Amino acid sequence: MPVLVPTAGGSFSGYAAIAIPWFAALVVALYARHVRIIGFAAALICAVACALPLGASPEGQTLYQAVMLLYACLTVGATLLLPRRDCTAGSIGGILFMLGATLLAYSADTLPVLLAGWVLSSVPFFVPRWFQTRSWRPRAGLLLSAIALGLAVARIAASAHTLSIIRLKGQSPGGMAAFGLLVAAVILRKGILPAHAWVADAAEGGPAIPTALLFNGHFGALLLAKVIVPLFTGASVVWFPILSYVAMITAVYVSIRALTENAPRRLLAYIALAQSAAILAGLESGTAEGITGALVHWYVVTVSTVGLFGILRLLEVRFGENLTASAHLGLAGHAPRLAVSFVVLALALVGLPGTLSFCSQELLIHGTLQSHPLTGLLLPIATAMNAVSVFRLFSRLFLGKRRTGFTAVVDALPRERWILTAGMVFVVAGGLFPNVLVARRSTEAELTALAARAQPPIHQAKPRP
Amino acid sequence: MSVSQVILVAVVLAPGVAFALLSLSWLLGWVPGERVVSALTGGVFSLCALGLAGLLWKLADSGSTTVVVTFGNWFAVQDYRFPLVFMADRLSLPFLAMTIVLSGLIGQFSSTYLHREPGFFRFFVLLHLFAFGSSLTFAAGSFDLLAGGWEIVGITSVLLIGFFQLRSAPVENGLRVFAVYRATDIGLLVGVFAMHHWAGSAFLGSGLPALAGRQVTIVCLLLLLAACGKAAQVPFSGWLPRAMEGPTPSSAIFYGAISIHAGAYLLLRIQPLLAQSALGSASLILIGVATAIHGTIVGRASADAKTSLAYASLTQVGVMFVEIGMGWTSVALIHILGHAMVRTMQFLRAPSMLHDDHQMHSAMGGEQAPAETQLEDLLPENVRLWLYRWAFDRGHLDTILDRWLIQPLLELSILLARLDRLGSPRQKPRSAPLAVLGAAKPGGD
Repeated sequence: MPVLVPTAGGSFSGYAAIAIPWFAALVVALYARHVRIIGFAAALICAVACALPLGASPEGQTLYQAVMLLYACLTVGATLLLPRRDCTAGSIGGILFMLGATLLAYSADTLPVLLAGWVLSSVPFFVPRWFQTRSWRPRAGLLLSAIALGLAVARIAASAHTLSIIRLKGQSPGGMAAFGLLVAAVILRKGILPAHAWVADAAEGGPAIPTALLFNGHFGALLLAKVIVPLFTGASVVWFPILSYVAMITAVYVSIRALTENAPRRLLAYIALAQSAAILAGLESGTAEGITGALVHWYVVTVSTVGLFGILRLLEVRFGENLTASAHLGLAGHAPRLAVSFVVLALALVGLPGTLSFCSQELLIHGTLQSHPLTGLLLPIATAMNAVSVFRLFSRLFLGKRRTGFTAVVDALPRERWILTAGMVFVVAGGLFPNVLVARRSTEAELTALAARAQPPIHQAKPRP
Repeated sequence: MSVSQVILVAVVLAPGVAFALLSLSWLLGWVPGERVVSALTGGVFSLCALGLAGLLWKLADSGSTTVVVTFGNWFAVQDYRFPLVFMADRLSLPFLAMTIVLSGLIGQFSSTYLHREPGFFRFFVLLHLFAFGSSLTFAAGSFDLLAGGWEIVGITSVLLIGFFQLRSAPVENGLRVFAVYRATDIGLLVGVFAMHHWAGSAFLGSGLPALAGRQVTIVCLLLLLAACGKAAQVPFSGWLPRAMEGPTPSSAIFYGAISIHAGAYLLLRIQPLLAQSALGSASLILIGVATAIHGTIVGRASADAKTSLAYASLTQVGVMFVEIGMGWTSVALIHILGHAMVRTMQFLRAPSMLHDDHQMHSAMGGEQAPAETQLEDLLPENVRLWLYRWAFDRGHLDTILDRWLIQPLLELSILLARLDRLGSPRQKPRSAPLAVLGAAKPGGD
């Protein structure tokens, strides 16, 4: 049984993409100097290793390679965006460790490897030296999701002769018990109702940028697209509409919750959570539009939320950690480029025309409305509320009377400015030429939609009439 | 591509290119001076105006009434396609011309009016973005593209309302306007989806989606919701006085001329559908009448010039809605064009209204006493007093929305916050008052 089929690279580059960050994390732990340079170089090499096989892969089989490249690029950005105060051996080491673990999960072809990546990616949030949070809920959420996945894998191992994802396709291994455990893992890891509170707690109490990276691994969506849909076709047909409703209700719930939230990190976490739930609703819609929208939105959400959390952290470092959305702070006068970056990335998250999310939201809304005409209405409503919340955060943080308590506060430093500009260019260029991404993802989406609509091959639940 | 098609694309894209150039130069650390910005703005809009004149001449010469440019699909997934189609016909050309001419005039006016204003550069960047969004809305060949331009106009409008960002009131009012726009734009998004779902396309012009029966009514009502939000019709009129916080030139072009008429444009576009739906037409007429009455009464009790003008605009747009509902599209189009020009001039003269008044009186040989009888003088004293209080609170529209929609939503949010905090180490949430969606008093400066 193959332990790892490195879809990222076919051979060497796939292994290299996973091993380099871990090796660099070890180097950083032993030699705690020049950590930003080491972290940046390792993430960059990792990104190159992920990018190399992308062009050679056949159309419709590049999804996981693309998200590996995206995550590696996000880590490159994170190493540049980390303020000097946070750029310690511990934080860089933790980020690199997470990168390796996440890529392992993305490239996994067997369930134990996926489980290993899933567990390892959350390890830094249990280690005090790395990113352990004050609140118990993030640890509980991560731990319970890992337990649920572990039990599901154990159940599948007990009932099937192989643990290869490809070989188990369409067999519903482990029956409804395994399916239920996998769905529980998705709900817990993704922060779907009623397990949503840990995400906001993690964002508020933990380190901003690593938490954003953890959240943007989108392991829940990964498990859904990689394991649940291909393996449990029959159960998916029956249960996905319900899961889709739950995801849409989550999106509305956290959007309403964000309306009165004044803690900026928490507010951003709710908005990210709503977008994440929208991705899940799109994946579960069973339509090519919805799934394509979800996959493209995955890109937008990751880039925008990491950028927004990064900007928030930069503001905290410059202006103090007691930022609030309950009053006008007028920070645009001190940091106009951070203000512009914030508003572009924030509006890109909620479907501003000219950005990639305009296309992804359009597809998502069409997909969900098509599969659930009435409940699908919840998604545009949630998006509208999110837009109001994120614009409120922008206007309260950056607009209003300029504060005079600060003496010499710099705007975005060159390294911060360039990486934020790269993020903005990505969302804007993606919005102007969306077909580059949409066309690539639509093939996979059509395959996934077909798989979701396929009849159950064995004894599992009856398909929807 | 023919010459006409090239001109149409160039006219639509030119303000967008100017916006991109100015934004990129700022991002790269170079802020062009006032002269450069003014010259660029003048140049872009002059060329666009010339281009449009050329386009009109070419159309008249060829006897054609429509120019269509198709760039294929912006993106496509299975059966769903987002067509990238520009179209200029008898309806969109006047709107395009109005956008280009008034944007150029406003640019010229603002280069003096905003001289040495800290936000001079920002204003012009947003002016170009607005012109691009408006051109896109009016030259869109499909409802999908129209929705894109529509959203750009909305966000630019909000950013310009908060132009004087150092004061809280404009910023909060901008937020409130943004909330209304986003809420009502749901109608446009879902309406476009409904067209795709039922008719398989969302093309504009002569090829309007073929809908039947109840589908027509649903689509009409959804698009009517979007049009009401953008045109500040009842019950969404409360945002209009708040929008007067922006600089006078932006108030002129947005709420005197283009943005306020975008809703009417959308309704003119779907007039063939409205004609098939008795409920859609009746709702449109009812809203138009209600808004016209609301606007004229509230406008009489407004204390500042810009707000009075805004309500005068609202009254006229209400009348336009009635005209469209009755099927008098040519009358509505002429009404829109005439109204936009006159109202822009009035807005631009608003800052010097007192000066103009004094000049007029001195030319007439001294202070003239108002001699005419007002309509409200015919009403009994207690009715007048009640009407005044009603008008002073802008018809209680914001109060009703706050009490019955926003406040319950915020209370629900606070309740959910309490639920979320169970087991959390953090402090209890502070109750969030209406300030969340803008509690600042409306009114211009």
